[in-house]
Amino acid sequence: MQFAIGLLLVLTAACTVGSVITQGQSYEAYAKLYGERWAGAIMALQLDDLFHSWWFILLSAFLCLNLLLCNLIRMPSIIRIMKREADPAASVGKTGNVSVAGIRDVDGFFKAMGFSKILSGDRKDLGGLNESREPDEAAGTSKDESLSGAAAETAGPDERKGSFRFSVRNTAGLWGAWVCHLGILLLILGFGLGQATKQEYTVYGLPGDSMPVGDTGCVLTIDSFEVGLREDDTVEQYTAGITVRRPSDGALESAEISVNNPASIFGMRYYQNSTGWAADIHITKNGEPLQDDVIYAGDYVRVADMPDLVIYLNAFYPDYVLGESGPMSISSSPNNPAYLYSVYYKNQMLGMNALLQSEELTIDDYTVTFGNPRNYTLIQVKRDRFTFLALIGGLVVMLGLILAFYLQEARMWAEQESDGTWTVHAISRKGGVLFGDRFRETAEKYL
Amino acid sequence: MVNESFLQIENVLFTVTMLLYFAAMIIYFVFVAAQKEKLARIAVILQGAGFVLHTIALITRGIGAGRLPLTNQYEFATSFAWGLCLVSLVFVLRYKFNVLGTFAAPVIFLIIGYAAMQSKDVHELMPALRSNWLGFHVSTAIIAYGGFGVSFVLGIIFLLREYMKDQSFLDRHVPSKEKLDLIGYRSVALGLLFLTFTILTGAIWAERAWGSYWSWDPKETWSLITWIIYSIYLHLRIRRGWSGKAAAIFAVAGFIAVLFTYIGVNTLLPGVHSYA
Repeated sequence: MQFAIGLLLVLTAACTVGSVITQGQSYEAYAKLYGERWAGAIMALQLDDLFHSWWFILLSAFLCLNLLLCNLIRMPSIIRIMKREADPAASVGKTGNVSVAGIRDVDGFFKAMGFSKILSGDRKDLGGLNESREPDEAAGTSKDESLSGAAAETAGPDERKGSFRFSVRNTAGLWGAWVCHLGILLLILGFGLGQATKQEYTVYGLPGDSMPVGDTGCVLTIDSFEVGLREDDTVEQYTAGITVRRPSDGALESAEISVNNPASIFGMRYYQNSTGWAADIHITKNGEPLQDDVIYAGDYVRVADMPDLVIYLNAFYPDYVLGESGPMSISSSPNNPAYLYSVYYKNQMLGMNALLQSEELTIDDYTVTFGNPRNYTLIQVKRDRFTFLALIGGLVVMLGLILAFYLQEARMWAEQESDGTWTVHAISRKGGVLFGDRFRETAEKYL
Repeated sequence: MVNESFLQIENVLFTVTMLLYFAAMIIYFVFVAAQKEKLARIAVILQGAGFVLHTIALITRGIGAGRLPLTNQYEFATSFAWGLCLVSLVFVLRYKFNVLGTFAAPVIFLIIGYAAMQSKDVHELMPALRSNWLGFHVSTAIIAYGGFGVSFVLGIIFLLREYMKDQSFLDRHVPSKEKLDLIGYRSVALGLLFLTFTILTGAIWAERAWGSYWSWDPKETWSLITWIIYSIYLHLRIRRGWSGKAAAIFAVAGFIAVLFTYIGVNTLLPGVHSYA
C-alpha cells in the first residue's frame, strides 16, 4: 500500500504540473513565458506534453500493475473472510465489539438493527469449531464496553449449550475496494487502449463539398450547414447535414449532427465541432478572369500563375467597424463584411489591410476581390473502440464505492442465557462507535 | 426566454437567504460563546429556513432563466452554498451535532457571499452547454463539494478538539475524536462518491459535446487531482496511525484542492470550463 500511496502522490504532483504548464507549446513560447533555462527543462522532461510523456505513461502502467496485484493478492483473503463471517460457528461464543445482556425480544432487536436473515439453532450443533477459531479481525473497529457492564466472556467448550441467533449483513461490502480497483483498472485500460488505437480526423468545408475521411475510404458530403442564432445574436446551435458514402459497397448514410448530438455512421462518430468563415476569392489579371477559389479565414490561396504570390485571409469581420482597439465586428451577421488580408511574395510580407466587400485589392497586374461570405463547418470524425471499456470501468468504480461506503459489513449474534434472556454481540467493520451507539440505543427498547 | 419578474423575485429571496444564513451564523456563535443550548435549536431552524428559501430562490432563478441555474460562477457559487448547507444540515440532524453548524455556517456564508459578488446576469447558453447532462453533472458536483466542505469543517473541529478541556461546554457538545473521525470519513465518502459521479457524467457529456471524454482540460485534471487526494485519504486511513489527527489534516488540505478546482481553475487556468 505504501507504494500505491507514493504512486498516487507522484501522479497528483504530475497532474498539478501538467495543469499549470500550458500544454503543447513550442520551445520559443515557453522561453518567452518562463525563460530559456526553464524552457529547456520543460522540453527535456516532456512537460510540454506531460500526459503523453513516456514517464507519465510508465507511472500509469505502474498504477495498473499495482491495482492488479493488489486485487489478486486480496481476493483469496476476501473470500476467506466472507466465508468465515457467514459461518455462525466463527462468531457465536465470542465477544463482539459491542455487547448487551438481558435482551428479551431478540428477533425484534435483530430486525431493528437491519439484520433480516436470522439463523437460529442450538449452540451444541455448531460443533467444535469454536476452539480452533482465529482471533476476530474486525478491522477498523475498536473493542467497546458492554451495555450492561457485564462483559460477555468467550464461551469455553463446556459452556456450549442453549440457543443462538446469528445474522450477517452486507458482506458484499467487503468487495467494495476490490471492485473499485477493478473499475479503475478497466478505466485506465480503456483510456490507454483508446488513445493508442483511436482513429481521428478533422474535415471542414461548405455545403456541397465532398471530401475523403482520412484513410477510412469513406467520402463525406456536407449537405447543409446552419448556424442558429437567437434574437440577441448569440448562437443557439450549429447543425450540419452530412452524407457519408462507403465506396467499398456503395452504401450511403445521411445524418444531421449538432453540438451534443453526434452521429454514428459506418462505425465512425461524427461530431459538429466548430465553425468559421469562408468566402469566394476572385482574381483577375489585366482585367481578364484568372482564378475563382474559396478561401477560409486563417488559410491562404496561391495565385494560379504565380505561386510565390500568396493571399492570406487573416480574419473575417461580418459586421465590420474600426474600433479604438482595431477592426472588430458588431454582430455575427454579414451586414458589412470586411476581409483582413495579407499578401506575401516569396515568403516576404508585402502588405496587410482590411478590404470591404465592394473594394478591390490591386497587386501589379492582379486584382483581387472577396465575396459571398458564409459559414463553413468543421467536423471531427473519430473511432475509439475502447470507449465502452472506459465507461464500464467508470460504472464499476461507482459500484465499488457504493459497496465500500454504503454496504458496511456487520455481524450480530446472540446466545440465550439460562434465565431465558439473550446476550447479544455485534461487530461492524466500518461502523465503529457510531454502530455501537446505534446498537446501544436500539437495545434499550428490547431489554 | 428570460423572465425578469422571476429574476427579481430570486434576487429578493437570495438576499433574505443570505440574511438568514448570517443570523444563523451569529446565533450559532452565541450558542457556543454564551453556552445556551436553546440557541442551537434556533440556529438550526434559521439555517433550515434559509435553506428552504435558498431552494425556492434557485427554482425561481431556473424558471426566470428558462434553464437549470447551474451555468455560471454566480449560479454555481450559490448552488455550492446550497449543497454545503444541505449536507451540513443532514449531518447536524443525523448525528445531533449542533457544533458542526457553528463551524459550517461561516463557510456557507463565505461561499454565498462570494456568489453575491458575482454577476447575476442571465446569459443564453452556448451550444455545448445545451445538454441534459448539465443537470446531472453540476448537481452531483454540488453534493460532492458539500460533502467535502463538511469534511473540512469536521477536520477543523477535530483539530480544535485537542484543545477542549474535559467537561467544558464544547466537550459535551462535540462528539469524541473517534466519532468525529468516523463522521469525517462518512462525509468524505459522500463527497468522493458524488465526485466520481460528477467526473463520469462530465466524461459522457464531453464525449458528446467535444468528441473526447477526457482531454486533460485543467478542470478535468483538477477534478482528478481532488479525487486522487481523497483516495489517498481513504488509503491512509486504513494504515495504522493515519486516522484521527492526520486524517483531519488531510481532510482540511483536501478541501483546498476542492476550492482550487472550483475557483482557482476557472480564474487562473484557462480551458474549456472557463465559462463555469
